[in-house]
Amino acid sequence: MKFGKRLKQQIQETLPGWGDKFLSYKELKKLVRLTSSALPLLNGSFEYGKAEAEFVYLLNNEIDKFNAFFMEQEEDFIIRHKELQQRIQSVISTWGPNGSQHSEVDYKEEMGKIRKDIVNFHGEMVLLENYSNVNYTGLAKILKKYDKRTGGLLRLPFIQKVLKQPFFTTDLISKLVKECESTIDAVFPVEEKERTKERREAITVGGEGIFRNTVAALVTMKEIRSGSSTHSHFSLPPLNLPDSELMSIATQLSNSHSLINTT
Amino acid sequence: MTNTTTPRTSPFVPNSETVGHLYSSPLRFPSDMQVSLVSMHERNSRNSPFISQSLKDRVSLPPAGSSHTEVQSAALINHPEENKEFSWSILPLQDLLDLPENASAQSAQFESSTGAVPSEDHAKSANWQEWADELISVDVALEPNWSELINDIDFTDPKPKELKPSSDILVQQPQNHQHQHAHYGENLTAANPLATVPSTKPRMRWTQELHEAFVDAVNQLGGSERATPKGVLKKMNVEGLTIYHVKSHLQKYRTARYKPESSEGTSEKKLNPIEKMNSLDLSTDKSMGITEALRLQMEVQKRLHEQLEIQRNLQLRIEEQGRYLQMMFEKQRKLEDEKLKASSSTMDERSAPSLNGTQSSAENDKSEVLEQDHAKTGTGGSNANVTPKEIDQDGSRKQKAPENSSSKDVDSNNGQSGVQPTKRARVDQTAA
Repeated sequence: MKFGKRLKQQIQETLPGWGDKFLSYKELKKLVRLTSSALPLLNGSFEYGKAEAEFVYLLNNEIDKFNAFFMEQEEDFIIRHKELQQRIQSVISTWGPNGSQHSEVDYKEEMGKIRKDIVNFHGEMVLLENYSNVNYTGLAKILKKYDKRTGGLLRLPFIQKVLKQPFFTTDLISKLVKECESTIDAVFPVEEKERTKERREAITVGGEGIFRNTVAALVTMKEIRSGSSTHSHFSLPPLNLPDSELMSIATQLSNSHSLINTT
Repeated sequence: MTNTTTPRTSPFVPNSETVGHLYSSPLRFPSDMQVSLVSMHERNSRNSPFISQSLKDRVSLPPAGSSHTEVQSAALINHPEENKEFSWSILPLQDLLDLPENASAQSAQFESSTGAVPSEDHAKSANWQEWADELISVDVALEPNWSELINDIDFTDPKPKELKPSSDILVQQPQNHQHQHAHYGENLTAANPLATVPSTKPRMRWTQELHEAFVDAVNQLGGSERATPKGVLKKMNVEGLTIYHVKSHLQKYRTARYKPESSEGTSEKKLNPIEKMNSLDLSTDKSMGITEALRLQMEVQKRLHEQLEIQRNLQLRIEEQGRYLQMMFEKQRKLEDEKLKASSSTMDERSAPSLNGTQSSAENDKSEVLEQDHAKTGTGGSNANVTPKEIDQDGSRKQKAPENSSSKDVDSNNGQSGVQPTKRARVDQTAA
């Protein structure tokens, strides 16, 4: 499957609401095609320069779009992360074992909610990282196409700039994700017996929401990297996921859900 | 950030001059604008063979500033009057770009800039944005998102930095591509000198530390409901932070507190897919099932996160290699030129074949390095040093910093050079 299609599919399955925030890959591809076909008609470097400038201009627009959206989300995540931490603290100190109003029932209930929230929050952040990466990949591809079709030398310097953009420098999000994971491990330690119980049940329930989104993202990533005709030294190697059981579950889920038409 | 640095390093005067000057020009336009806009539209639609109209209009925007390679806003300010006004006239009316008198001046700028647009220093800046905003307020409703349009003109390196009292950043800015800094506000310098202009929209990149400071300030002022943006701004006392940043952040903060996680989803107002899906999660009341589901969800998410990180690092490295390769090519080329110039014919014959061997072996080394990296054995480093050494062997040439490598490498690599011409060609294609 071609990247353009994969991109569309991923947007649909993961975050249709973010659809217009993604790279306008198709449009850019069209422009590349138009430019390359018009190239023989363009007289001299001036015209060519103009066409290239336009292309660059559009790319810059896209990048601005990514940056704005990304930083907005990032800000939200920072706020929510802190709020979650505080919420956990307050629940523990109120209804927890050593709390002011110790109540097993309330504690369990609140913790249950928090657990769900924090896992989804984690998922959202990871999806933002995915957003960043998908757009970067798209940009890299379109630049490669441009150079190939027009014989230009745009790709290398341009991509260097892209690498430094806010939307691609996801260190903060990554840090938040890791903090989230350690919070979860600390507050919700895994008990062995939980693992074996009712896994099937879990799969049915877990097939919705953020989980589905991340599964779709993972599967798509694997597909995108599964090799292409234009594989070069600048291409990524195929995805290697050691956890085969996890991946088979993920693929099962994604297959069954791709048949379901969701909004 | 040139325009931001200026006011800090020297009194506000230069900017006010600029501001004053520029503010005056827009006021002249409004009456003319409507008229010329119409005619421009017509002309444009005829002239755009394969580029859509709006695109064509916008194409000319970048060069407006590109003739200034100096980053100092002083340079911009000192620029010939007509140039500024002329550029100004372009900004409000994208269509004006096609005026013949503009076109010729523009084209010169275009040519110089296009090849290197991404890497060029544009002296354009938040200046344009401010002025654009001012123009908008002069009641020209041509394009709703023009300040964005102007923002879009180029992007340069916006490496975000921590929000600290920014004297060091201000010092750095002049050399930098200030443009982005203004927009992405990762720094405080983003809050500009033209703070008098109300409609600044540079984006602030928040960090955890900054948010902590924010929360502290809010708490000191009695909580999120009672705290005012102005008060918080003052309390935080962070250079470069504007009240607009604080205001929007405060709004988000309030929303996050009073609409706890489960009902919140993303910051979008309308019901979004995440919110909808969250509510579906509790479709069963078997608590064990939920726990297990969450655990599974967590596993997948962790996995995705991990893979994304790996992918990102790989991408970074690939480009790094590409850049390195490029550098090598250029060095090679330079050396070749020098050799041709400096040497006698006999020397040339001798050096040519080994040069070719060198080149392909260098590329092969790079390719090998990449492949090996993929397979996670990193022996590429030493191979990369082959080239300078080989060149050294050729005799009296200008030498790069000599690096050590075994002559064994040289021989084996030379042996391979014949075998992998296709790889070289490909590498040429992709890297060149």
